[in-house]
Amino acid sequence: MRHRLIQWLGIAWTCILGAFVVWVYVAAPRSVGEVATRASVAVGTYEVDRARFDAGRDLFLREQYAAARDEWSRADPAQRDARTQFYIAYSFYRQGWGRVYNDDDLFKQGLDAANRAIALSPDAALSVEDAELKIHSAAELKAELEGGLLRTADDFNPLKVFRERK
Amino acid sequence: MIDRRTTNRALVRFILLPTIFLIVALLGGVRVASETGALVFVAPPLVTLILAVMLLALFARGGAVVLGRWLSADNAAAANVSHALTLGALFFASAQSFNSVLPDAGLLRWVLSFFFLWTLWQNQFAAFDARRLLRSLIALFGTAFVIKHVLLASLYAPDGGWLKRLAGALLEGVTLGTLEGQAFAPATGYISFFTLALYVCGLVLLPPAPDDEAGEAARADEIVAAFRSLPPEEREQVGAAIIDDVRTPELVTTDDRVTTDAETYRKQ
Repeated sequence: MRHRLIQWLGIAWTCILGAFVVWVYVAAPRSVGEVATRASVAVGTYEVDRARFDAGRDLFLREQYAAARDEWSRADPAQRDARTQFYIAYSFYRQGWGRVYNDDDLFKQGLDAANRAIALSPDAALSVEDAELKIHSAAELKAELEGGLLRTADDFNPLKVFRERK
Repeated sequence: MIDRRTTNRALVRFILLPTIFLIVALLGGVRVASETGALVFVAPPLVTLILAVMLLALFARGGAVVLGRWLSADNAAAANVSHALTLGALFFASAQSFNSVLPDAGLLRWVLSFFFLWTLWQNQFAAFDARRLLRSLIALFGTAFVIKHVLLASLYAPDGGWLKRLAGALLEGVTLGTLEGQAFAPATGYISFFTLALYVCGLVLLPPAPDDEAGEAARADEIVAAFRSLPPEEREQVGAAIIDDVRTPELVTTDDRVTTDAETYRKQ
């Protein structure tokens, strides 16, 4: 009886460990910490570090955009939270926005983050309720970033300097 | 006592062996990037899978793995499934052990792969027993480990290892371009060493054939049946010999009792 129990236990254990090995090679984590993060994503227990997220938001409101993104990347290391990715995209937008011209590199990174945020909320349009923000939906933010990257005749309009950052 | 031994054997066969081989399969492809310290997972390349097939064939030829006993119609279905998983784990562990000691790129990767293929192919036609095979494998993997993680690691070292300086002095003006490869952190060598040590441990623990309780009982029945088919005189001889064997530890100093036991049996 015990022999058979060990046998079945061995079969189950071998299957689980084998699946883990395959998963590690597919996920290819870059550090041991990332193994834990990706494992928690895989089993559905992944959560954003709320304290770090709030710390990042405080920095964002004080216009410390790079520091804010650093906090948010620690709060959401697996880039699985749509709301955090939206804030990251927003920080790229605000940092890259210029009265005369926009920083294309920052806008491109912002666009990537906005796309991630949209991809992470496939069921409904992502909308973030935050009184400090002027753009609340990910789609609108994406359109704003795409508009900033476009080269049009309107770019030479001198009245452009009076536009407002959102 | 026998029950505990059976349990321990079952634990080794069904849990410990697959665990060892799967850990080897996991660690065999792990590299540590020298600059960032990030983990890099290298899936087994095709050549290592071919080498692993040849190695398993060698195990079967050398009697280190009696496939007919591991996977047999006489075994229970669960036993066959368990054995197949263990053999599968052995296959991937072998492939990843080769992956661990083969250079990841460059001309030397192909040279070493060719040497492995040549050695394993030649061994297919050599007379081997399980113990010799294990020793030969330790030598093979040990040599490859030294070449990759000592000699080549020194050659590829970003700060210029001792071998690079030596090669520079000996081959002044000659390029090492064709020998270029990716540099990894020294931790890669330690991981590879641990992986190979674990793989050898797994091979040492791997029995040529799984002896389960049912198999042992069946063989005991076969022996009893063979004993009963013997003529009376030979049965007496066998019986006396068995009693002598059983009593031997106690009878090292008292030869008289050996004679007494054997005679008692004959009288019976």
